[in-house]
Amino acid sequence: MAAVQNTVDQVEGLEKYEHGFVTDVEQDFAPKGLSADTIRFISAKKEEPDWMLAWRLEAYERWLAMDEPNWAKVSFPKIDYQDSYYYAAPKTKEGPASLEDVDPEILATYAKLGIPLREQEVLAGVMGSPRYAVDAVFDSVSVVTTFKKELAAVGVIFCPMSEAIREHPELVKKYLGTVVPTSDNYYACLNSAVFSDGSFVYVPPGVRCPMELSTYFRINAAQSGQFERTLIIADKGAYVSYLEGCTAPMRDENQLHAAVVELVVLDDAEIKYSTVQNWYPGDPETGKGGIFNFVTKRADCRGDRSKVSWTQVETGSAVTWKYPSCVLRGEGSSGEFYSIAITNGRQQADTGTKMIHLGANTRSRIISKGISAGRSSNTYRGLVSAHPKAKGARNFTQCDSLLIGKTSGAHTVPYVEARNSACVFEHEATTTRLSDDQLFYAMQRGLTQEEAVQLLVNGFVKEVLQELPMEFAVEAQKLVAISLEGSVG
Amino acid sequence: MSLSAALETGDVGLLPSRRDEDWRWTDLRGLLRVLPPRALKASVATWGEGPFAGLVDETLVLAGGAETASLHVPEGVTQTIALRVISRGDTALQASATIRVDAGSKLVLMESYEGDAGAYVTSVDLNFELEPGARLERVALAMDGADGVLVSKAVAVLGGGATFTQTLATSGARRQRLETSVDHPGAGANVHLNGVYLLTGKRHADLTTTVRHMGVDGQTRQLTKGVVRDQARGVFQGRIIVEEGADRTEARMGHHALVLSDKAEVDAKPELLIHADDVQCAHGNTIGALDEEALFYMAQRGLPDGVARTLLVAAFVSEAIEGVQHDGARAVLEAWIAKAMEVSL
Repeated sequence: MAAVQNTVDQVEGLEKYEHGFVTDVEQDFAPKGLSADTIRFISAKKEEPDWMLAWRLEAYERWLAMDEPNWAKVSFPKIDYQDSYYYAAPKTKEGPASLEDVDPEILATYAKLGIPLREQEVLAGVMGSPRYAVDAVFDSVSVVTTFKKELAAVGVIFCPMSEAIREHPELVKKYLGTVVPTSDNYYACLNSAVFSDGSFVYVPPGVRCPMELSTYFRINAAQSGQFERTLIIADKGAYVSYLEGCTAPMRDENQLHAAVVELVVLDDAEIKYSTVQNWYPGDPETGKGGIFNFVTKRADCRGDRSKVSWTQVETGSAVTWKYPSCVLRGEGSSGEFYSIAITNGRQQADTGTKMIHLGANTRSRIISKGISAGRSSNTYRGLVSAHPKAKGARNFTQCDSLLIGKTSGAHTVPYVEARNSACVFEHEATTTRLSDDQLFYAMQRGLTQEEAVQLLVNGFVKEVLQELPMEFAVEAQKLVAISLEGSVG
Repeated sequence: MSLSAALETGDVGLLPSRRDEDWRWTDLRGLLRVLPPRALKASVATWGEGPFAGLVDETLVLAGGAETASLHVPEGVTQTIALRVISRGDTALQASATIRVDAGSKLVLMESYEGDAGAYVTSVDLNFELEPGARLERVALAMDGADGVLVSKAVAVLGGGATFTQTLATSGARRQRLETSVDHPGAGANVHLNGVYLLTGKRHADLTTTVRHMGVDGQTRQLTKGVVRDQARGVFQGRIIVEEGADRTEARMGHHALVLSDKAEVDAKPELLIHADDVQCAHGNTIGALDEEALFYMAQRGLPDGVARTLLVAAFVSEAIEGVQHDGARAVLEAWIAKAMEVSL
């Protein structure tokens, strides 16, 4: 009967966006608006060295001269950058020395979200069950990072970005901004100026990170934006798997989330980066509220035979603008991109990837599954390019779109640039709706229409789900169901 | 932003540049700092009869002094017409033609773009109007000079049940764009868009298409094949739009290219923009080199390498002209391919 109970739970969970609550904690804000002073305030709050402040101010200068990009297939009201808080942190006297010092309200928030912040909790249950270390970012600061000691024992550095700037300046200086330069694009430049927290990971040569690392981002404060910055470095022969999750309260206003993620992969190293994005998508009827998710994620496969795998499940946000990319520089390096993007209600998503083949014998693979329902718009936009030196480059791309309902849009916009004679690029895309025959078959066997749709959709996205680490795959499958709630019948 | 607007006003600032999303691979502003003077009227007799001579009932010419043409095929008639666009010298030509096909009629239009060795700049706008049930077969062969610049834009509006079949063949130019835009407001419209580009030297060709399905039961079949050598650059941009309510639309788009030299380049953007759910749409895009296994197989059977390559390339591109219904026109394109293969040997 476990299966029956599971279904009951699932249907109950379908009700609404279940992470939409607000936590009432006392918070510290930067003065509203954006100016050089705001940046100095953030830098001072983080006790940053002078070089970091100079870096931020330079980015701010550049940002002032840039224009917002408008080529994506999304539309949203103009953002007033002066009408937002760029720094919001739960009030504490000093940085929490241990979990006991963390505001119980915040602990309760993460408990509600199902994120284990206590190391022993992770161990509770079956012996030998998989463990994962968590860095929890609440608005602009990291509130707690678990398993740091155990990771340090094997040489892995896993800490909040602000701590890394203080404790490991040589690593941060060496790699920060080398994958996504300050002036890469409008939102990345803004992030460079005002970024608050995020995770820093360094895996030393030859080390296989003993557990999954994960960061959980939570926007809580009203009228604030979240600008986290993540930097992951896998040194020669290292391996790390990193997971990222995010949620936000339900509000009538739009909140901006402009993150930058940089991955550096050296010889024979591998990074697996998984995201389950579940920001508040806004009101499905009116389209009011929701997060603007304008994120720049890029991996630089600098070393030979290095490997990066991006997996993303995008179900939330009012507007998504996100293209996790791989620069395949090292000889024989490879990049993978597995994506499920689901839009419902009035959501708009313009997402995809870039595979930039620079080195010889580089390989890439793109599997993208887009599902659009309600009055939403879902665009896959991707670039595959081969430099003249990328002899033997190979790419395979498959983009499938599924339409549910007559008022949604599904778009596929791939860019392919082949600049040498020894590369092989293949691309295929299909757009269809759910098959009536399959639905009929499933319903004949006693499934309700909603269940039948879920079953077929799960089959549609299976190729991507199986790339996710176990704990996330379960959550993602549930999310898929929730996101499509009310889309049929 | 268009070449014709720039020629009209003489303002090079109106030329499309790589900053314009639809022109990112066919930059004209960076290429043309000044526009040449307008072409004057001159006799076309020195140009011979054009590639489709002997196959047609009538020939229309667009050239200096003859910048506009119009054609009306009355109800229930079948006509075969040639349209020659002649560019020459270091001159600019801004030409246009309007073509109307009445209900139940059929037009076979054989277009040729002919240019000399001059650095000419030519812009052609073609407007097609097809009444319900009308049929148009458009076959175009672009034989521009290596220093010429050509932009040809065809806009077709289809009535219910109308059929539009097109095959474009080009050897490129210094910069060249052959653009087709088809709107289907009516139900059950039927579109076939095929194309071939065979480029050598420093030539460039851009085949851009937009098909917009607005009525129900529409169908689009599209196949473009290309071969680039030396430092040539081939561009394919295909866009299929299915508007809300255009149910039961079926659209298939394919673009396949061979890159045969290290400095050659192919850029492709096959787009699907779908706003209706009861549709079947797909596209496929492949870019690569000749299949080594096939070459090995042929070498084993004693074929010299050059012959084997030519055979494989010819077989690869010929698929895109198989859809030409007019036998004479198909033979002209076949001969053009055969000649291109000879040169490349």
